[in-house]
Amino acid sequence: MPSESRAVGPWPTWPPGYGAGDEDRRALFVLSALRGISPRNLIPIAVERGSAVATLGWIREGHAGSENDQAFARGLDPDAIARAAEACGSRLVTWTSAEYPSQLRQIPDPPGAIYLTGRAPPDVTSAVAVVGARRCTASGREAADRIGRGLALAGLTVVSGAARGIDAASHEGALSVRGSTLAVLGSGLDVAYPSASRGLIARIGRSGTLVSEYAPGTPPSQHHFPARNRIVAGLCRATVVVEGAKGSGSLITAEHAMEFGRDVVAVAGSVTSALSEVPLQLIREGATLIRDVEDLLDDLGVEIVPAEVAERLELDDAERRILDGIAEPTLPDRLASSLGVAISEVVGVLMRLELRGFVRNVGGRYETTLKARAQRDEDSERSARGTPDRATSRTGTPTPSSRLAAIDER
Amino acid sequence: MYGRVNGVTVVGVRGHLVAVEAHVGRGLPSLTITGLPGAGVQDARDRIRPAVESARLEWPLRRVVVNLSPGTVRKEGPGLDLPVAMGVLAATAQVPAAALGGWAFAGELSLRGGLVPTPGMLSVAIAAARAGLRGVVVPAENAAEAALVDDLEVVGAASLAEVVGFLRGTWRPAAPQMPGRREDTKHAVDLAEVRGQAQARRALEVAAAGGHNLLMVGPPGAGKTMLARRLATILPTMSRDESLEVTQLHSVAGLLDGGLIHARPFRSPHHTVSPAALLGGGTAYVRPGEVSLAHHGVLFLDEFTEFRRDAVEGLRQPLEDGRVVVTRMVGSAVFPARFTLVAAANPCPCGFAGDPVRRCICRDDRLQTYQAKLTGPLLDRVDIRLVIPRLTRRELLGGQPGETSSSVRERVERARSLQRRRYAPLGFPSNAQLPGPVARREARISPDARELLASAVDLHALTGRGFDRTLKVARTIADLAGADLVEPDHVVEALAYRSASPVPELERAV
Repeated sequence: MPSESRAVGPWPTWPPGYGAGDEDRRALFVLSALRGISPRNLIPIAVERGSAVATLGWIREGHAGSENDQAFARGLDPDAIARAAEACGSRLVTWTSAEYPSQLRQIPDPPGAIYLTGRAPPDVTSAVAVVGARRCTASGREAADRIGRGLALAGLTVVSGAARGIDAASHEGALSVRGSTLAVLGSGLDVAYPSASRGLIARIGRSGTLVSEYAPGTPPSQHHFPARNRIVAGLCRATVVVEGAKGSGSLITAEHAMEFGRDVVAVAGSVTSALSEVPLQLIREGATLIRDVEDLLDDLGVEIVPAEVAERLELDDAERRILDGIAEPTLPDRLASSLGVAISEVVGVLMRLELRGFVRNVGGRYETTLKARAQRDEDSERSARGTPDRATSRTGTPTPSSRLAAIDER
Repeated sequence: MYGRVNGVTVVGVRGHLVAVEAHVGRGLPSLTITGLPGAGVQDARDRIRPAVESARLEWPLRRVVVNLSPGTVRKEGPGLDLPVAMGVLAATAQVPAAALGGWAFAGELSLRGGLVPTPGMLSVAIAAARAGLRGVVVPAENAAEAALVDDLEVVGAASLAEVVGFLRGTWRPAAPQMPGRREDTKHAVDLAEVRGQAQARRALEVAAAGGHNLLMVGPPGAGKTMLARRLATILPTMSRDESLEVTQLHSVAGLLDGGLIHARPFRSPHHTVSPAALLGGGTAYVRPGEVSLAHHGVLFLDEFTEFRRDAVEGLRQPLEDGRVVVTRMVGSAVFPARFTLVAAANPCPCGFAGDPVRRCICRDDRLQTYQAKLTGPLLDRVDIRLVIPRLTRRELLGGQPGETSSSVRERVERARSLQRRRYAPLGFPSNAQLPGPVARREARISPDARELLASAVDLHALTGRGFDRTLKVARTIADLAGADLVEPDHVVEALAYRSASPVPELERAV
């Protein structure tokens, strides 16, 4: 898996020195607040004019941009925007700034400046994007959560968009092991969108990094999200797509990643599920197939530092028989009749398994979790090895199973 | 010229003895009724004279004043037609005054002098017995229900002429037949008819055994109504007192047909029902609502989220107190209403959330609004929440034929008798009625099981309120197993009956 990115392409980009100096920074505050003009339109002007001040002047004079933007550019007070940025704890990182993520310099239409709160953005080798459907399934959410944990435990930064569903689950996974995570927003950093993620965004702001190319106060807008996705893909060495229905935004992110020469990874799903549409299509186009976080860590060639793994409870006989009886989403009734056990007992055992995270209830039927599958693999591996010690092998190097144990335990 | 007879007015379900006095004196021919008559009684004035004349009796062409006493109770309903007529006949000496004592009269008259079936006659008979009267004279069709009262003579008459004949000794009533004596508890449906849905059947059994309210969430066609209807068939057989209460309520509502009701009622009002129809009320004659008609039985609210908010809010009082108080300016009426609530709802507005085949197309905000309707103060009183999946054809055909209602009912009755014995000093009929702190004190839970419940709280699978609900359901499951202590197995099964959202991330509020 090549992780070296392509060099700067043949496309035009911001001129050197763009945004250097106080006056240019002030001009960038204003330029970032213009709603109708994107880097794609701004870069040619900047190349011609040379500096941000000159670019802003050109717009103010009415040579470029919509009439709205021209009026806006004339009326906006850069100091007010700077104060608002400071009020929400963010700083402006310009194209020439040392903190500007170098991996973004290599993509087409990079942002001329980004607002940033919290930790400095990671370099490209230690950032992985996890994206997918907002309306995801419970097993998709579990996969994203485990990937978030695994990446964070391996010391990588989990990058996503803080949307509901897969995005949120991957951030939460990273946060749950006190790992590093970064969210790119499609609005100003002081506008927490979507509102359901307000709490999540606040926590990322405290312990991780928030990034936006829009000035504080900018409301979310439909065309911001595809643009935001190019930054998500641009920051990362690889983009993992967990679930996505036809025509979803995760496809856009993956396409950006491909275009930028970064890796695309997709979590395999059932061919009958509408939410497998995007991952399966990407796999056909050459994306790397993974089944669980374990595959991903292998492919990235990274290791989790295994912590002390607590002694785990074994499954008893009844639990194992019921767990083995679930191949697809299954009614408790069917388990009761096929195993010849009273329904009240089946219901109870399923509940025990659910509390331990081995099965989940989806609309009245039960399905096994990734955690259960991992545990099953581990069990068969252990019996093959014939050793009760499953945390680490004798040499002390972590085995795949101990990695998973670490993910499950925390 | 003065006459006096006994009548009965029904307030709520309770009959109040009314002395009907009639005075015939000088003045222009007229009939005046005094003594707080309601609109329905005023209405009788123009009906009584034609009825009397049709019976070939004489209406005095003088000034007639009828007084209803006591004057503090508002008299309602058509049952006072007959006593008013009898009072006038007594005042004009057309019936022997000596024969009137000891009888109460009730019934609505037709213009041709017939006695038509009248609501509330069981309440009338109970009031008469309580007042120590010898008997009641009621419409022939209502004789059977009035005959349910012990130690009371019942005369069922088809017309005013027959009543007069009875008092003059020229007509003898047929002895009322006693349909109420046979022990007929047959329901029209049976639990054995449900194919598959073993988990739901088990949940019904637990609900019946502990008196727990139930919420079922599932797509249309999953069988929610079918299951709810069968809950009434596995509840314990009604005692005679319970049967009498139910019969009395149906009598007052004018829905009784025949004698004693043995089968537990099942009521399923449509979701457009008005608060008055659901809870009881009405402008002239205060009728019991659906909650009271479901007394000692099952109240099934299908499409629960579609019910009017004020109607749903009004359910809190009966769920808490087991009765409804309908307050009007002139007074209030009390109706008993202790029922098992079964609410059913689709998982989401489109109905397909959680379905393995069809994809839910609801927008997020609508989904959240919808889920919010499945929480709230009313549903806090629901102990068992169940997701009912739509079965595939394979699952349907693979389903085992279930047990019959009567064999499940036997287990339910055993569990209930354990509860009655345990809570006899506290005065609670079943586990579901226990307030949270009492449940925590009385549940008799083993240390292991308590540990397990506590860990469920730690795993955020339970809230504080959910803790109490789960504890009570676990107690019921232990009672079904005949266990003295609540064991971990009972707790885990109870935990499985706590979730009612097929969309897991929206479940947190439960």
